Amino acid sequence: MSESTSANTAKPSSSVKLVLLGEAAVGKSSLVLRFVNNDFQENKEPTIGAAFLTQKCSLPTRTIKFEIWDTAGQERFASLAPMYYRNAQAALVVYDVTKPSSLTKAKHWVAELQRQASPGIVIALVGNKLDLTNDANEAAGEAQPEAEHESSPADGDEATEETQEEPDVSNGDARKVPTREASAYAEEEGLLFFETSAKTGHNVVDVFTAIANAIPESSLKSGRGAGAGTGQTSLSGGRPAEDSRVNLGERGAATAKEGCAC
Amino acid sequence: MESLADTPWDVTISGTGLAQSLLALALSRSGKNVLHVDRNPYYGGAEAAFSLQEAEEWANRVNNETGDHPFEDASVRLGDGSPEVGTQLSASRAYTLSLSPQLIYARSQLLPTLVSSKVHRQLEFQAVGSWWIHRPGDSGDKRLYRVPGSREDIFADEMISVKSKRTLMRFIRHIGPSQLGADEAEGEGSSLDEDVGDASLTEYLTSKFKVPDELHAPLLSLCLSQVSPQQTSAQFAVTRIKRHLASLGVYGSGFGSLAVKWGGGSEISQVGCRALAVGGGVYVLNTGINSLDLPAEDTTNEDSRIQLLLSNDEVIKTKFVVGSNWDFPKAARLSCDCDRVARSISVVSSSLESLFPATAEGGPVPVGAVVAFPGASLGRADDSPPVYILVHSSETGECPTGQCVLYGSINMPGSDGQALIDSAVQQLLESAGGPNAKVLWSLRYTQWGRCETRSTQPANSAERVIRLPPPSLDLAFDDALIDTVKDAWQAIMGDEATDHEFMTFEDREGAYEE
Repeated sequence: MSESTSANTAKPSSSVKLVLLGEAAVGKSSLVLRFVNNDFQENKEPTIGAAFLTQKCSLPTRTIKFEIWDTAGQERFASLAPMYYRNAQAALVVYDVTKPSSLTKAKHWVAELQRQASPGIVIALVGNKLDLTNDANEAAGEAQPEAEHESSPADGDEATEETQEEPDVSNGDARKVPTREASAYAEEEGLLFFETSAKTGHNVVDVFTAIANAIPESSLKSGRGAGAGTGQTSLSGGRPAEDSRVNLGERGAATAKEGCAC
Repeated sequence: MESLADTPWDVTISGTGLAQSLLALALSRSGKNVLHVDRNPYYGGAEAAFSLQEAEEWANRVNNETGDHPFEDASVRLGDGSPEVGTQLSASRAYTLSLSPQLIYARSQLLPTLVSSKVHRQLEFQAVGSWWIHRPGDSGDKRLYRVPGSREDIFADEMISVKSKRTLMRFIRHIGPSQLGADEAEGEGSSLDEDVGDASLTEYLTSKFKVPDELHAPLLSLCLSQVSPQQTSAQFAVTRIKRHLASLGVYGSGFGSLAVKWGGGSEISQVGCRALAVGGGVYVLNTGINSLDLPAEDTTNEDSRIQLLLSNDEVIKTKFVVGSNWDFPKAARLSCDCDRVARSISVVSSSLESLFPATAEGGPVPVGAVVAFPGASLGRADDSPPVYILVHSSETGECPTGQCVLYGSINMPGSDGQALIDSAVQQLLESAGGPNAKVLWSLRYTQWGRCETRSTQPANSAERVIRLPPPSLDLAFDDALIDTVKDAWQAIMGDEATDHEFMTFEDREGAYEE
C-alpha cells in the first residue's frame, strides 16, 4: 500500500481468516500440515473438533498471515462450521479425487458458504489425493509456477484432462472424479480450483498463494489481525490497514497479574 | 455413528452466552468430557450478534417463545416509512448487530484473562474514544458536548469556567491517582471510600467539592450509571470514575476502553467455544434441555449422574449441568428476580464523523463513542434515568461504510423507555448527522438481566446443577462475570482445580509460530 514511505520498512502484513471444509478423511488437516510444517503423516488420526494454525505467505507487495481453522469433517452435528466461517475471508473446500461423494459434499459446503458466509469470501475448491491417480507422476515432475490460477481456474486442462475422462483403473489409477467435472463446476461458481497431493506436496503452496492473491485489497484494509513487530502503528502518516486496531499483546501480558488495582 | 448417550459426560453446558462460553474456554484444556448445547440455532445467547435477517428471525422467536429468553417485546422497523430508505440499506449480511453491546475498560479483568488463555489474538480490539453529553441549548445549534474524560481534556476544555475546572481537578485528585501514575501513586486515594459513606453522587460532589451542578451529568456519564445522579451512590460513582481514569492510556494514548470488532461479546463467545471445540468438546446447536432428573442415589457418589432429556430426544447422563435460568427446562427454572431495560439498535445513514475525533496524536482511530442523554435533557424530571447511546462506526465491521449503528439503552422498560430512546436518537441525528441522516432500520426490545447495582450470589459448589446469574445489563463489561465463571470452574474441577491454573494456558502446538 504505502511502499514508498521507506525502502526498509517491512511489507504490510495482513491476517486472513481461512476455514477448511469438506467431508471426513479427504485430507483437510494433511493439506494444512503440508502447508504449515511441510510434513505429511500417513494414517493421521481424525481431527477432533477443530484445530487452529497460522502460516505466513509472502507476496511481492505484502505478507499474508493465514489464520487457519481446520474443522473436523466427521463433526457430527454441523454445529461448529457456522462459527468458523463467520467473518472468514477465505475458505478451502476439499474433496477426495478418488471419492465422488466427497465432491457432492463439497458442493453442499460451497452452497452453504455462498448463502451464509461474508459476501466477499474467496473460495477455493481443492481435489486432494492426486498421488493416488495416474497423473501423480507427471504432475510431480512438472512443478510449474501457477501464478495465473486465479484468473483461469480451468488452466492445466489441455495436458491431462481429456485422458482422465474415463479413469483407467488397470494402472492403479483410483481417480473417480474427472478433473473436467470439478473444474467446470468451479468455473461456474467462480471458485479457484486446484488438484493437490498433501502427500507429495504437489500444488499445496500454490493453493494458498492463489488465495492470498485473490483476497481483495479492500477486504484486507479492514482485515483481521496486525503484522506483529512491524511497528506500523507507531509510524506517523500513512498508516495502512490497522488504523483502528489496538494491540493487546505486550501490555496485556505485562499487566496480567496486577491489572486490577481498582 | 455413536450417539450422545454413549458418552458419560462430565459437564453439560447449556447456552452459548458469554458466561457459558468463557466457562467453555476455562474447561478447554481440562480433559473433561464436555457437551455444549444451545437451544438456539446461533451462538452467543444474550450476547449474540445478527445480520438484519437473523435479527428479524430472532425477534419472531423471542415473541413466540415468551419466557424462554431474557428478552421480550421485540420489534423490527424498516426506516421511517419513506420509500428511499430501503435502497440505502445494504444486504442483510453486511450488518453484524449486537444484542448486548458492552465496552471493555482497559483495566477490566477480562483482558488479562483473554491474554493468559491465549485467545486474544483471535480477537480484534478497537478503541472507544469520546464521551458526549446532550444539553439542549437556547440557540438549538450545538447540543452535544464532549465530556472531558481526562486531566488533559479538562485543561483544554473551553466550556468549563476556570473556577469549575479547579473544583473538578480537586475532585479527581482526591479520588485517586492520575491515569499517568496509576501504578505509582498507590494508596493516595485508597482510604477515601470511607469518607464517601452512603451519600448520593449529587450530595457528594456538592457538599465535598462544590462541583457545580452542570458538571454532575457529565461525571455521571463517565460511570455509565443507569439512574439519575440523585439516585447514584457516590460509592458506586467514585469506583467507576476511578476505573475510567485508571484505564486511560493503558493500551495507547487517548482512550481507556475497548470494543471487540465484528460484534463484541458474540465474538468473545465464539472464541471461547472454538477453544473448547479444539480441546475436544462436542457442540450441538438447536438443541436444548427438555427435562432434568437428579440422580436418585446419593449425590456424593462420584459416579452418580444427572439425567438430561435433550430436545433432539436423546437421553444423556452428566455429572454437572451449567446454564442460566433460561437454558434450563421450565420445570427447573427459578423465579427470576431481574431488572428490565429498554434497548434499541438503529442503523443510520450517516458516518457521524464528528463523534469520533482523534483523541490523541498517534493513537488509534476511535470506532466507538458514548452519548449520554440526562433525563432532563429529554424533557423529563431531573431524577429520570438517562438514555445512553453507544455509537459504533463502520470500522467495527458491524455496518457498511457511510453508516453507523446506534445502540440505545435506558433503565425504563416498555414503551416509555422506547419513546425516550427514540427521542434521543432523533436528537443525536439532528446534532451530529447532517441534513440527510436518518434511521434506516431499527430493532427494539426489552431485555432482562442484572443492573450493575445488584450483587450476584456465588455458585453453590456442592450443587451439581450450576446456575449462572442473569446476564449483566451494564454498558461496560462486568468483571463479576469472571468470578462467576471461576466459581463454576472450581466446582467442576474440584480438587483438580489446584493443579490447573484458571484460564492460564500455553499456546497450542503449531499455533502462532513466528
